[in-house]
Amino acid sequence: MLPNIDTIAAVATAQGRGGVGVIRVSGSKSLAIAETILGKTPKPRHAYYTEFVDEQGQAIDQGLVIYFVAPHSYTGEDVVELQGHGGSAVLQLLLQRCLSLGARLAEPGEFTRRAYLNDKMDLAQAEGVADLIEATTTQAARSAMRSLHGDFSTVINELVAGLINLRMLVEAMLDFPEEDIDSIDVEKRNRQLMQIQSKLKQTLATAKQGSLLREGAYVALVGQPNVGKSSLLNCLAGEQVALVSDVPGTTRDVIRKEIQINGIPLHIMDTAGLRASEDVIEKMGIALTHQTVLKADLIIVLRSAKQVESPEDIAILAALPAEIPRLHVCNKVDLMETQPLPSAKEIYVSAKTGVGIQALRDKLLQSIGWTNIESGIFMARERHLLALQQADISLNNAAEHLNFPELFAEELRLAQVALKSITGQFSADDLLGEIFSRFCIGK
Amino acid sequence: MNFPKTFDVIVVGGGHAGTEAALASARAGCNTLLLSHNIETLGQMSCNPSIGGIGKGHLVKELDALGGAMAAATDEGGIQFRILNSSKGHAVRATRAQADRMLYKQAIRSRLENQPNLWLFQQAVDDLLLEQDKVVGVITQLGLRFNAKSVVLTTGTFLSGLIHVGQANYAAGRAGDPPSVSLAHRLREMNLPVGRLKTGTPPRIDGRTINYSVMQEQPGDDPVPVFSFIGNVAQHPKQLPCWITETSRRTHDIIRGGLDRSPLFTGVIEGVGPRYCPSIEDKITRFADKDSHQIFLEPEGLTTHEVYPNGISTSLPFDVQWELVRSIKGLENAHILRPGYAIEYDYFNPIGLKNSLETKAIKSLFFAGQINGTTGYEEAAAQGLLAGLNAALQVREQDAWCPRRDEAYLGVLVDDLITSGVTEPYRMFTSRAEYRLQLREDNADLRLTEIGRKLGVVDDIRWAAFDKKREAIALEEQRLRQTWVNPRILSNEDATRVLGKPIEREYSFYELLRRPDVNYTSLMSLPGAGVAVEDEKVAEQVEITAKYQGYIDRQRDEIDRAQQYETLNLPDVMNYSEVPGLSKEVQQKLNQFKPQTVAQAARISGVTPAAISLLLVHLKRGFRDNVAQQIVP
Repeated sequence: MLPNIDTIAAVATAQGRGGVGVIRVSGSKSLAIAETILGKTPKPRHAYYTEFVDEQGQAIDQGLVIYFVAPHSYTGEDVVELQGHGGSAVLQLLLQRCLSLGARLAEPGEFTRRAYLNDKMDLAQAEGVADLIEATTTQAARSAMRSLHGDFSTVINELVAGLINLRMLVEAMLDFPEEDIDSIDVEKRNRQLMQIQSKLKQTLATAKQGSLLREGAYVALVGQPNVGKSSLLNCLAGEQVALVSDVPGTTRDVIRKEIQINGIPLHIMDTAGLRASEDVIEKMGIALTHQTVLKADLIIVLRSAKQVESPEDIAILAALPAEIPRLHVCNKVDLMETQPLPSAKEIYVSAKTGVGIQALRDKLLQSIGWTNIESGIFMARERHLLALQQADISLNNAAEHLNFPELFAEELRLAQVALKSITGQFSADDLLGEIFSRFCIGK
Repeated sequence: MNFPKTFDVIVVGGGHAGTEAALASARAGCNTLLLSHNIETLGQMSCNPSIGGIGKGHLVKELDALGGAMAAATDEGGIQFRILNSSKGHAVRATRAQADRMLYKQAIRSRLENQPNLWLFQQAVDDLLLEQDKVVGVITQLGLRFNAKSVVLTTGTFLSGLIHVGQANYAAGRAGDPPSVSLAHRLREMNLPVGRLKTGTPPRIDGRTINYSVMQEQPGDDPVPVFSFIGNVAQHPKQLPCWITETSRRTHDIIRGGLDRSPLFTGVIEGVGPRYCPSIEDKITRFADKDSHQIFLEPEGLTTHEVYPNGISTSLPFDVQWELVRSIKGLENAHILRPGYAIEYDYFNPIGLKNSLETKAIKSLFFAGQINGTTGYEEAAAQGLLAGLNAALQVREQDAWCPRRDEAYLGVLVDDLITSGVTEPYRMFTSRAEYRLQLREDNADLRLTEIGRKLGVVDDIRWAAFDKKREAIALEEQRLRQTWVNPRILSNEDATRVLGKPIEREYSFYELLRRPDVNYTSLMSLPGAGVAVEDEKVAEQVEITAKYQGYIDRQRDEIDRAQQYETLNLPDVMNYSEVPGLSKEVQQKLNQFKPQTVAQAARISGVTPAAISLLLVHLKRGFRDNVAQQIVP
């Protein structure tokens, strides 16, 4: 409960015309505002169909109103939702009315922030809400919804619980060597560690899918200027989402475009300038381009079917980082007299006729690690991935230190520190509590 | 009357906290008075006759590094020494010693009597002399008034102490000593968070009636370990073994049969006891499926037959104690010398303390030991040294010394106490220390002796020995870093013998020493290794540091990240009810604990990360200019 905090209000539905528009009011004055606008006192958690009136008692709109009493509301404060008609003028009038009654216009994300600050949700959940609002595709929205429901937190909490159990055994062994507690059976310990490791790897894989949904992947497109890159991009993007943006890059030689395939955002870096040059300025540009390509998750090497690979092409390819996976694509197959046989090394397409495009899409998604298993995916942020990766590293290190219990324990601690950065805190005293509840200590 | 002499620091209580406090204050150059109700019991081991153990040994080594008495007195009084966890890494190894009670007490007494600036006086303290909210002295039972600039209270279990044996109970500070009742009443009137705790002790047994032949012998280590950094084996008296036996089903039946007359289970005892040192009746109730519990028989000394049966602390009626002891293997004919008992006493929740151990409510009044809700000689002594030192520093108008969590177990101890408070007696464990790998017994001197020297509590002898050792370590590390071994010179045979496999490139000896399976002595047998250092302690330290270096560097990063909040101070006057957005619970917690820094606030249980971000937002808004400046320079 936040008795001291001011009351905020905002239009909760999207801008533009819709069938229904909702004004959300949160804070200690919510009920008073509702009473004035409705002319009566709404019971908590009851829906009323009523008129919304202005200062003169004239109806602004008609609609539903629901009052949620603190702390049983989205924000944990008193919340009133006024559901009127979706026209923006009407909604603005109603919002102005709330503001004139003492509410202040909410800042972006402020309702969710209050919910987080009032412990209505943890950080992962709050981020889930942000993702849900930002989500542009239905798939992303569903994943965000799962994070919001705490699925992600649940998985992390399960991992942490396993880790605590293992730590308890190890710490009991370190702190109570003289007690006749069942000294930890090495095989049992190793088995527990392996279980946690495999669960973590699974979680990491799922989170990576979520991260792909949210962050997408960076793809560098390499090829000579006349091989048909732009048409290929447009073709890949398909009808449902055309080119989302067309932003010039930081150097004159990198053009970034964003497209979506099956809801996965792909940031395409068109690296037209990757070729040998004597020009000083162009050389600098090329150096920068190389740096950009370093960040790519995948390189598409595009050539035209009419051309054979030139020494120049080979030189360019040799200069690209070898550790980034490559996808070789041959465009303009429609111009060939005989259609090439399918090849494992290269994909044959025609941006003009659409031949091979669907295969390329599938191959692209597969190459960046998208498995298209939608079930169970949750929206993971970069920070979640980093934390999971950190925990993974620590557990791998732990596995290498089985004969050094204090180092083993340290790696487990680090793994837990990483995981708790996703969901919450855990103290040494909690760990001791686990030990005392499990073992009879007391020499 | 007013006592004719005035003092800088008065220490009340002569247990492990009080003696270390008085010695530290005197070493720091302050005129110090130690007041005890009975000079004969100075340095008394009231419970088990042992010093050290996991976490506790770490504290004792830290005390020693700061010139404290406990380790040295144990070297003079110890009759069995062991290194626990010796098969595990150095960070979790700890020294533990059985001590002869008489010898230990003598060693402490002689240090007290020979300490310059320190005066002893036998009188119970009944009251504190206050001027507004500052303490200026104490009043004793006879009405003597002692004036001082600072007072350290180390009252142990004496404040309103109440002993229970079965349904019977009586007021006492410990068996055979009167409690402090007047002082307890006076303290209860002051603005201090008072509570009640319980601890217990087992019946003592006449060794002549024990059948050791059916028990397992537990000898001390060979070679015999030494506790103090400047001690040696020659100081040790004759060594004795301990013995291990166990309870039987019949023991458990006898105990169950007596539970209806147990003060613990009939609700007579209100104080909370420690979960890690439970009474035997507690153990068989909570872990009912166990048929047997280990018991360690520890000799109480060289000149007595008295034996301490570790593991059967109890407050059951005496007739049950008699039966249960005699149901244990080897104790069938045992004679009990003293009954076991439980004792309840007043403590003050340490959330009322600053990290200097000065009370927040009363200026210049310091608390140390069981009065703060801790248990154990080592925990008490550690706080005693810190409180005595800080009382002296205050008299000298210097800043208090408050070790950090990454510097010392002392820092972990105090920080845990003041940020988490106490609901059961607090004991140290290594798992409480997140920076365990660098808070080791072996490097306590390297961590603390220089600080102690600057603060004035480390004498010339210790300092000279330390300085020599530290220099030798630095020289040897440098030598190993600069000495290289080349695959062309090193034979495969030598490499396999020492390193397990041939080397593929040139390495410095230091790099090789960092490998987990390589030890210093065998490394020094390689051609080109040069002359090994003679001092084993130096070689050991070089090796341990090399092994842990990677981990310690990583922890250093973690510490640096946390450091910004450690130095972000919160003003005493802060009213958390005014911080918008904080939940009622968090407001209450913060107003109650009054943390000194944001980092402390974050460690208080129930203070969520969200609450900390609100607090930071509030601070950023600049509710007080001085605080705002710290954050937005």
